[in-house]
Amino acid sequence: MTDLIPLTVFGAETPRQTAPGALALAERPDIAIASLALRRGTAGAAPFGLLLPGPGGLAAAQAHLAFWTGAGQWMVLAEGLADTDFAAALRDAAPGCSVTEQTDGWTVVDVTAPEPLIARLLERLVNLPPEALAPGRATRCQMHHLPVHALRLSSSRLRLLAMRSATASLWHALETAGQRLALP
Amino acid sequence: MTRIPGGLIDRSQTLTFSFNGRSYTGHPGDTLASALLANGVRLMGRSFKYHRPRGPVSAGSEEPNALVTLRSGARAEPNTRATVAELYEGLTARSQNHVGPLGFDALAVNDLLSPFFAAGFYYKTFMWPRAFWEKLYEPMIRRAAGLGALSGEADPDAYDRGYLHCDLLVIGAGAAGLSAALTAARAGAQVVLADEDFRLGGRLLAESDPLDEAPAPDWVAAVDAELRALPNVRILSRTTVFGAYDHGIFGAVERVADHLPEPGALVRQTLWRITAKRSVLAAGATERHIPFAANDRPGILLAGALRAYANRWAALPVARPQDRIAVFTNNDDGHRTALDLLAKGANLLGVIDPRVDAPRFGDYQLFAGAQVTGTHGRLGLSSIEITRDGRADWLECHALGVSGGWNPNLHLASHHRGRPVWNEELLAFVPGEGGPRGLIPAGACAGRGSTSAALKDGARAAQAALSELGISAALPRLPGAEDKPLRQSAFWHVSGKARAWVDFQNDVTVKDIALAHKENMRPVEHLKRWTTLGMATDQGKTANVTALAVMAELTGKSVAETGTTIFRPPYTGVSLSVLGGGDTGKDFRPTRLTPTHHWAEAQGAAFTEVGPWLRAQYFPRPGETHWRESVDREATAVRSAVGLCDVTTLGKIDVQGSNAGEFLDRVYSNMMGTLKVGRVRYGLMLREDGHLYDDGTCARMAEDHYVVTTTTGNAGLVYRNMEFARQCLWPELDVQILSTTDAWAQIAVAGPRSRELLSRIVDGFDLSNAAFPFMACASLTVCGGLRARIFRISFSGELAYEIAVPARYGAALMQRLMEQGADLGVTPYGTEALGVLRIEKGHAAGAELNGQTTAAMLGLGRMVSDKKDSIGAVMSRREGLAGDRRRLVGLLPEDPNVPVVPGSHLFTPGAPQDMAHDQGWITSACVSPHVGRSIGLGVLEDGDCRIGELILAVNPLEGTKAALRVVPPHFVDPEGARLRD
Amino acid sequence: MLIPHPLLGLRDAQEFTYLGDAALLDRPSPEGEGAEAAFCDYVFLRGNPAGVHRELWFHEHGDRSWLVVTRNTLTHEILGAELASEVAKALRGAAE
Repeated sequence: MTDLIPLTVFGAETPRQTAPGALALAERPDIAIASLALRRGTAGAAPFGLLLPGPGGLAAAQAHLAFWTGAGQWMVLAEGLADTDFAAALRDAAPGCSVTEQTDGWTVVDVTAPEPLIARLLERLVNLPPEALAPGRATRCQMHHLPVHALRLSSSRLRLLAMRSATASLWHALETAGQRLALP
Repeated sequence: MTRIPGGLIDRSQTLTFSFNGRSYTGHPGDTLASALLANGVRLMGRSFKYHRPRGPVSAGSEEPNALVTLRSGARAEPNTRATVAELYEGLTARSQNHVGPLGFDALAVNDLLSPFFAAGFYYKTFMWPRAFWEKLYEPMIRRAAGLGALSGEADPDAYDRGYLHCDLLVIGAGAAGLSAALTAARAGAQVVLADEDFRLGGRLLAESDPLDEAPAPDWVAAVDAELRALPNVRILSRTTVFGAYDHGIFGAVERVADHLPEPGALVRQTLWRITAKRSVLAAGATERHIPFAANDRPGILLAGALRAYANRWAALPVARPQDRIAVFTNNDDGHRTALDLLAKGANLLGVIDPRVDAPRFGDYQLFAGAQVTGTHGRLGLSSIEITRDGRADWLECHALGVSGGWNPNLHLASHHRGRPVWNEELLAFVPGEGGPRGLIPAGACAGRGSTSAALKDGARAAQAALSELGISAALPRLPGAEDKPLRQSAFWHVSGKARAWVDFQNDVTVKDIALAHKENMRPVEHLKRWTTLGMATDQGKTANVTALAVMAELTGKSVAETGTTIFRPPYTGVSLSVLGGGDTGKDFRPTRLTPTHHWAEAQGAAFTEVGPWLRAQYFPRPGETHWRESVDREATAVRSAVGLCDVTTLGKIDVQGSNAGEFLDRVYSNMMGTLKVGRVRYGLMLREDGHLYDDGTCARMAEDHYVVTTTTGNAGLVYRNMEFARQCLWPELDVQILSTTDAWAQIAVAGPRSRELLSRIVDGFDLSNAAFPFMACASLTVCGGLRARIFRISFSGELAYEIAVPARYGAALMQRLMEQGADLGVTPYGTEALGVLRIEKGHAAGAELNGQTTAAMLGLGRMVSDKKDSIGAVMSRREGLAGDRRRLVGLLPEDPNVPVVPGSHLFTPGAPQDMAHDQGWITSACVSPHVGRSIGLGVLEDGDCRIGELILAVNPLEGTKAALRVVPPHFVDPEGARLRD
Repeated sequence: MLIPHPLLGLRDAQEFTYLGDAALLDRPSPEGEGAEAAFCDYVFLRGNPAGVHRELWFHEHGDRSWLVVTRNTLTHEILGAELASEVAKALRGAAE
């Protein structure tokens, strides 16, 4: 193990958690991320028992989660494995696929709030019909001028993958929205 | 005081407010206009051109006259319509466009000079002398003619934006809108109901007619309560849908906090972008007036507005309750005002109706076949002249309601150039073909304006809209309502010699229209621009149709033949702040931070913006007083010891697949497919037109895996172009790409001692020149097992490496390198030193890759392979490009104290300094600590053959001229021995 | 405007970057006498009809697919959208 100490995008050793209004925001640096793309002649893949979903879809199996990012492309998430070479593990689990390490490319932000509040939050942040982010749906979209992967894990949980370098800007937008939504 | 009983105001609370410094009281539910009228104040402003005294004409957003500056200081909002400004405790407002007190405006002299201010007067009067326009005429006109002024201070309030998606958007919450919303809501559709007023109900709040024998506001309240309880309905009050855009997208502004003294933690306004599968336009109708002599005095209102003030706001526009009020109408609806005024106990003079057979509906005096032909009253109406059968009588009268019929509010239906259609029976334009798809006009805005017809029409429209979406909706039981026939006459204006106003806000009279006619400005678009009709902030809502009818009369054409001008968004004014979406200052756009940002901040670095990125520009040390001292020190450290620079911002694209090499051969101008695993190559990308647009490195990590870098600024563009190549040009290739810019923290370790430094952190990796030569790359581990990538590439010309680790370790790696290199003189350097180092080395960067240069111009001609096809290859060989003989050169001032100014153009000494003799330009310049003076790079005609020549650099913008010696574009180590060492 | 993405359904045009005439899919052959002239046409001459037009749009803030969108430039009516990769494959298949 390296003795270098990893820092979160905010320059801290521990993940940031705040609760603007009735939202709970939590940075999840423990989650490993790698992309997966089918190569020509590869019919499909089922890494870690995941059934790779179709457009706009999300699939979970134990600690793994996959969502569709483009034609023949997915992003695979694994909780608690950020400090491992997850891309290598995925490559082994998905022969005939191109795999790219993405763990530090994105900051995972979990947003937890009662369902109506999540709906109001999405209204402020993203120009998508609610069904595109209904529970079990995931999509790459634009929030606060930034490309964001938005995953609706459940009615009360939204997971956002923000470009690591711009996380502070997205976090600011989330906090501002959360505080405003708490007002009468 | 002329507050009368009744109304929809909350008398249990009293609000104090001030107008022009005087204090008044009103109640919740009042607008500023209704509260002022209830206090006997009806003079609220001065007209635009003639500075005529003016009071409110309307009771809604169409108001042309009663424009005030609301609030003060940074929150001052000029040109606010008092008729829609919701009263709050402590409201302050001031009138506009006068010099001296409102009651005695020094510029009212303009009114006496009115013959000079006729239609087109700007074009006729201020033509000569030409020089006077900018210096004299324009400032004078701007001072004299106008509206309120901005505070000049920054807007202190917050704004927000949001996005709504629905099955049905209902625009307007009057009779038609409420029944449409109710129908759709009960069917379970996702409904958004938007209304500009602060209370739902629209015209139902202003009328005395009952719904099912009960007051109409009772029904409104019941519907309001039902809709609010439904989860599928979103009610947006105080929200103006201002524009209809393509494919069911609408723009709307919600005035979240404009009814509060200060927004506090709230945003002031929210901009909503509403995407609706279907929409019902239930925007109602706007009454029109009848121009007659001196028809613009305070106290002369639209009859429907007079009725609304009496019924909804319990206010009469007179100073004393016993003052006489009359109605001048060409239609039956005006008589309703008379009846309501009677019921409210007003002192009604009677109804003047030009129709000889005018009906009488109640116990009031009827002047049938009569017209109003004149008025008196300096700051408010005091008497009117009624002419019947050639006989004129002056009668005391303090308020007059005027009705010339109603114009459907069809604006949004015409935002896609849908042409309104003239309906001769309604004497009005109604929505025509070509409106926004999926939008159904209903109720008064569709010409079906009786309460009963509007209620039914709204429900039917919603039902029809939803059935297209496969949602079946039952028609609700609607209350019984008035269904009076619309009887009116095509009486457009009262003839006469005196000025009769058509457009109050821009002071356009019937005479101006007649003049435009005489001067052949007859088509509506000419009429509008010649007279400025309808070009004020109210966009002529109360004026345009009347003006068209007057012009039609003059030309002898019908109104239908005359046509209308085009309607465009916004329906009413929208503040720029809310369109800006609310983010200001540093939050205006996202900022991207490098992995070492916080570390650099702690070192006291100065930062510079590079696109969205913030990069360390230089790292000042104690004692350094000028940025150049820091930069010189940093650059020197790289040349003599070792420097560290965060280069994470360079775009990184992961390219994989069995055809990755072939793919890269086609997007780079040079060969990449032949690159050996473990090696890096510098690459050029061309546009298809043959010009250079980006450069970078391409590292082959495995047989089927490359890592490509781009310049910081072009990362997105290169990615998009690579996707274009992959999907659109060569979809048969097996290649997958993904941006990994943020995933890896990349640090340049540059300088003669860089190998020594790196050897202290790698885990048993052989960095020797033999094992890891120039342009080698590898995956390895550092600092005890951390996965990393290393590239032996150099931007500075020194022995150099770039090392990449997962981004979260970037700051720790930087810190470790600083600690480990302390004895080697390790120095962090920023973008300024980076620039100096690359100019000294003659490396092309953004200033050279400016879209006008070719590979040959930069001395890189051999990098465009003719052994293969690649993007831009064919066009790079065309005559115009291949024949360009400008070449990259170094430039050295003869006088060491003279700076090289980038952007200067190059001329042969003695030759004329003009376009025809231009020899090239200076792309980059810096002060080089290595050379000891200012140096530059530039492209020069035949530059490679002119080494040693003297050339003149001229910069007319900076006013500089300098003699420069042409030298090779490498100021350090031209043989490149250092980076291969 | 709303673009009917063949995989994702209606998505706002804000998510897309516009390129223009879909004729750009038909890159000329670099071989032969007329290559330069053909590239000149390809690079500099574009259709810009007032009416139905086939255009390239990039779903930059979505799945990063290039689409061929058929749009009436006068009315902004959108008549259809296809994945550009599919159109390109068909084009190349037809050429071979």
